[in-house]
Amino acid sequence: MRLHSLALRDFRGVKDRSVRFRALGTTVVVGDNEVGKSSLVEAFGLIFDLPDDSKSTRIRDIQPVGQDVGPEVTVELSLGGRELTYAKRWLKNRSTELTAVEPDGRRRSWTGREAHNEAERLFHENVDPVLWQTLMVSQGQSLVLPTPADAEPLITAVTAESGTPVDGASMPLVTAVEHEYLRYWTPRGKPTGDFARSAKAVAAAELAARQALQAMDEVQSDIRRAERLNLDLEDVSGRLTDHLAGVEALRERKQATDEILLRRDSVRSRAETARARLENHTRTRLDRERLLDEVERFTRFEAEHAARRADAELVARTAAELVQAAEATLTDVVELKDVRRTEVQAAERRVSELMDRAELDRLIGQQTELVDVRARIAAAGTVLDRIKVDDALVAALEDARAAVVEARAALAAGVPEVTVRRLGAEPVELSGTGLEGDVPGELGFDESIELLVSGELVVGVPGQVEVTVRAGGEAATLRSRVDDAVRREKDLLKKAGVKDVAAARELLRKADTASAELNEARRTETSLTAGGDPGERIAVLTARLGIGEADEAGAGDSSGKQPAVEGVPGQMSLFEEFTSPHDTLFDDFEVPEPEPDDLAGAQRALETARDGLAESERLLADAEFAAAQARKAADEDRSEAQNARARAELAAERLAAALDSLESARSVLDDDAVAAAESEATADVEAVLDELTAVQEQADAAGADQVADELAAALEVAKRLQDERDRLRDALRTTEGRLEQSGRDGLATRRDVAELELAAVRTEYESLQRRAGAARRVYDTLSRHRAAAQTKYSEPLQSRIDALGRSVYGPSFRVRLDDDLAVAERELDGVRLPVEALSTGAQEQLAIITRLAISHLVSTGDGSVPVIFDDALGWSDKARLRDMGALLGRAGDHGQVIILTCMPDRYEYVPKATFITLDG
Amino acid sequence: MDSITFLHSSDWQLGMMRRFLGPDGQARWGQARLDAVARIGAVAERTGAAFVVVTGDVFEHNQVERQTILRACEALKRIPVPVVLLPGNHDALEPGSLWTSSQWLAHAPDHVTVLTETTPFRILPGVEIVGAPWRSRRPLSDPAAPAYADLPAEPGTIRILLAHGQLTSLSGGMSEVPPIDQTALEAAVADGRLQYVGLGDRHSTTRVTDRIWFSGTQEVTSPEEDAPGNVLKVTVGGTIEVEPIRVGAWHMVDHRVELFDEESIAALEDWFADLPDKERTYVRLAGDGSLPLPLLARLDSIIDAQGEVFASVERWAKFWTVRPAPDAADLESLQLSGPARAAMEELRQALAGGDEGAGAALSLMHRLARDAG
Repeated sequence: MRLHSLALRDFRGVKDRSVRFRALGTTVVVGDNEVGKSSLVEAFGLIFDLPDDSKSTRIRDIQPVGQDVGPEVTVELSLGGRELTYAKRWLKNRSTELTAVEPDGRRRSWTGREAHNEAERLFHENVDPVLWQTLMVSQGQSLVLPTPADAEPLITAVTAESGTPVDGASMPLVTAVEHEYLRYWTPRGKPTGDFARSAKAVAAAELAARQALQAMDEVQSDIRRAERLNLDLEDVSGRLTDHLAGVEALRERKQATDEILLRRDSVRSRAETARARLENHTRTRLDRERLLDEVERFTRFEAEHAARRADAELVARTAAELVQAAEATLTDVVELKDVRRTEVQAAERRVSELMDRAELDRLIGQQTELVDVRARIAAAGTVLDRIKVDDALVAALEDARAAVVEARAALAAGVPEVTVRRLGAEPVELSGTGLEGDVPGELGFDESIELLVSGELVVGVPGQVEVTVRAGGEAATLRSRVDDAVRREKDLLKKAGVKDVAAARELLRKADTASAELNEARRTETSLTAGGDPGERIAVLTARLGIGEADEAGAGDSSGKQPAVEGVPGQMSLFEEFTSPHDTLFDDFEVPEPEPDDLAGAQRALETARDGLAESERLLADAEFAAAQARKAADEDRSEAQNARARAELAAERLAAALDSLESARSVLDDDAVAAAESEATADVEAVLDELTAVQEQADAAGADQVADELAAALEVAKRLQDERDRLRDALRTTEGRLEQSGRDGLATRRDVAELELAAVRTEYESLQRRAGAARRVYDTLSRHRAAAQTKYSEPLQSRIDALGRSVYGPSFRVRLDDDLAVAERELDGVRLPVEALSTGAQEQLAIITRLAISHLVSTGDGSVPVIFDDALGWSDKARLRDMGALLGRAGDHGQVIILTCMPDRYEYVPKATFITLDG
Repeated sequence: MDSITFLHSSDWQLGMMRRFLGPDGQARWGQARLDAVARIGAVAERTGAAFVVVTGDVFEHNQVERQTILRACEALKRIPVPVVLLPGNHDALEPGSLWTSSQWLAHAPDHVTVLTETTPFRILPGVEIVGAPWRSRRPLSDPAAPAYADLPAEPGTIRILLAHGQLTSLSGGMSEVPPIDQTALEAAVADGRLQYVGLGDRHSTTRVTDRIWFSGTQEVTSPEEDAPGNVLKVTVGGTIEVEPIRVGAWHMVDHRVELFDEESIAALEDWFADLPDKERTYVRLAGDGSLPLPLLARLDSIIDAQGEVFASVERWAKFWTVRPAPDAADLESLQLSGPARAAMEELRQALAGGDEGAGAALSLMHRLARDAG
């Protein structure tokens, strides 16, 4: 079927509208909501379903609200090779018209009910209602996946292509097989129902049977144990009886031998007594022999130790003498060494003294020079201290001199100059003020004086005349100037300590000279005191040399005596005393030479003295060693002598004690009596031992000693056997008790019942197992064949869905169809999901893909119908819209695709689509 | 005494169970064994027997449940004459033996004597019973010998030996325990030391010699038994007269059939129909042959149905080799097509190739297809 055009008039909200569709390809009808897109689909259904006189509410519903008009629909279509034009109006001016152009070009027309019937017949003959419903997707139905199993054109196409007929006749068997299978197995193949319960019952019965059997095994074990215990008990009881008889016989034997043993014990007791007595006597004899032996031995010891004592004491004495001699020699050598040391000391002192004196001489010279230098320093210092003149002062003095001269010149020029001369003998007295120069109070005879009077000059001759000369006013000023100049000059001269300028200049020259001298003297002093103050060292040396202050003045006199050496009183006499008695011993020593006065001679003498001292020290070491050796030997000999003395005394004491003991013992029993008593006791012992031997032989013959042991051992065995018998009895009793209980419990019956039950459930289980096995075998075999057939049967549709799907989803896309050719699963990228688990968008896309595949499959047959989507792809994103658009475009290549939408942009990717826009 | 009449029975094995009977059959059969004992009492009364001897295995086991002992005691009470019981291998006088248990001792009827020793027991003046009770399940020598080996002949006394065990002539050398020396027995009979030897252990009534008999069990216990269910009426004196009297009510039957067509199936049906005492009969079927699927289904149906009627009908697994033999007509009649037909064809070929499991599957599929069709 192909839909060519559809025209509506007065249909719901549509006044008059006509739409023409592409016979092959995709037509997209675009219109806003309420402009009648869905009415087109509805109209197509109504025109075939309802005659023009229908009273159906569906007709009432399509009449425009409030308008008394008849809704009218006209459709042009191809159907079964015919081209039809079919128009119908309901309610008002009802009419139906059908025009058909046959394939051979014949044209036929019908009107009214005939037209309706013919159109209906043609539609139902050529359009499979299931396929029609499958491929027409109403608004809001785009998610519904088609189940097209009953669509005849599809079945025909699939069958034709796959070569596999539909197996509808086997379905009851399939159902029955499944039913039978599910009686025994779960869909996942686990035992279920009676079969599973039976398996559990078998397991439980097996456990119960095993336990019952085990209980019976224990009974059997107990029976065998009891049998064994019975045998063992019988055996032990028999042995015990036999053994007790043996025990009784042993008891009787023992009674018989006990008497002999009593006798033997009595003799044995007497033998012990006799043996004890003999031991006493023997001990006495041995004591006596020991005493005698001791006396003899100690006598010998005493004599021996007395001789040793005498020898030792002699040796000790000799050694003591040797010590004395050695110590005497040592004393001599010590004294000699002291003399030698004294000589060395004296020589050393002499050398030292000579060296000190030489040093003293040098120091005294140095000190003399130092005294001189210091005197010079002092003198120069004194000069310098006294001279208060320096260059400036001299210059000031010279200036002051010039001022005086200048003032006097002015005075002389301004005041009267008076000359007084004494002529007579009369004294002439002068006095006054303002007089120049020193005015003597009185003039000597013929002495005259010229005076410049700047004040008042009184010249008198007592009793004769007095002349007063007074200078004018200016004269006082001139006088004052002169006085000032003079006073200044005087002050300066006073300060300089000179009487005039010349003297000052002289002093200045002297000061320079003194200063140079002072500097030179100080340098000399510094060099002289560089090694310390010579005076201190002189004092030290003079003290060391024992030179008095008096001598110090003449220290430089080297001819002085040697008081230190020569002044030692008795020195020579001592030496002589030391050397005189030992001439032989000290022959090689020279009497020291008189002390040399020169240092070299003194040093040689020192060397000689030191050699003598060294020699004497060697002699002393030898003498000390000899003395030490002698003392050690003497100590040892003395110690030995003491020991010998002690041992001798001890030997004497012991001898005395031994003699006392012997005497004491003999006073009790003399030596002969001791021997006799021992002999007698020996005879007694031998007699009683003979008697004991005889009794023992009797006992041995009767086996008296073994009987007791045998009886004890036999009793022990009897005890053991009794214990064993008791143990067996107890064990048997216990086992029999258990068996009795087993009997009461009816364990055998229980086992039989358990085995019976096990056999019963096992039989049932085996039967069920056979039946379950058969059911499974049938189910598996049939399923396998059905799956193979189904795969083959559905392959044409599945391969088309797969092909279309891959253009959208890629090469991993595939679907699995169920028995109704509906998509059951989708596989993508290796992941298989049931369609219910897919997203809404994926479900819608899969529904569209499946419809396009169905359309493609049936497109070549007569039964093809258009694919109509009313408002689809609302769940797809942009990318998918592009792919789905391409798919819809391709679908148009094989059939008629009509899309109704208010969202034309969803389909802008459909290639070659014809867009028709419905205006409101 | 010139002669004496008594009854000889053995192998009551009270408490025995048979797995092939099922719970209901087991209960009825167990009761039947007690009823047979009671019937022995009736026979004793009827025949004027002076006493009853039971030669071993009165009980199935020493550890039977209390109910079994008490019911046995009740059954024994229905025997109106003295009863002498001999412990056999099943109820040996071993440690823990039922015979020494407090349960037995407390309930045993007074007229019942258990032979626990080999010393002769004078049951009546001039009548002496000697017995050799089993003291262990594994005797080391002839289990009968201890009772009579050293006994001298006692003229004027009828001496009856009660013993339990297999005879050398009947054991076939296969017995696990030493058999009874038949020659020695016969010699003892021949020289007049024994006038009758009552034996137990063999469940079939068996005459060994005129004076040596196995009484057999009072009620059948296995299809293999030959002439079970009897008690022997023995009249002994100078002469001997032994008469088996049936006291059992049950049957256990082996039946071997060849099954290959509808006729053979029908023959089997007829055979079932002819059997008496169906509710007290156990049938063990041995079968061979092959059957088309419909007949096989019919056979299954027959056996199932008979199983409800009889005490038990059982295929003897060891000897049951009836196989399905589906032919093309079977399959065609089902009018299967497509996968169903292919599946059935696959199973048929597997069966032809010797796959036993395929046979059962094929039968099932056949039945389901037939029912579904």
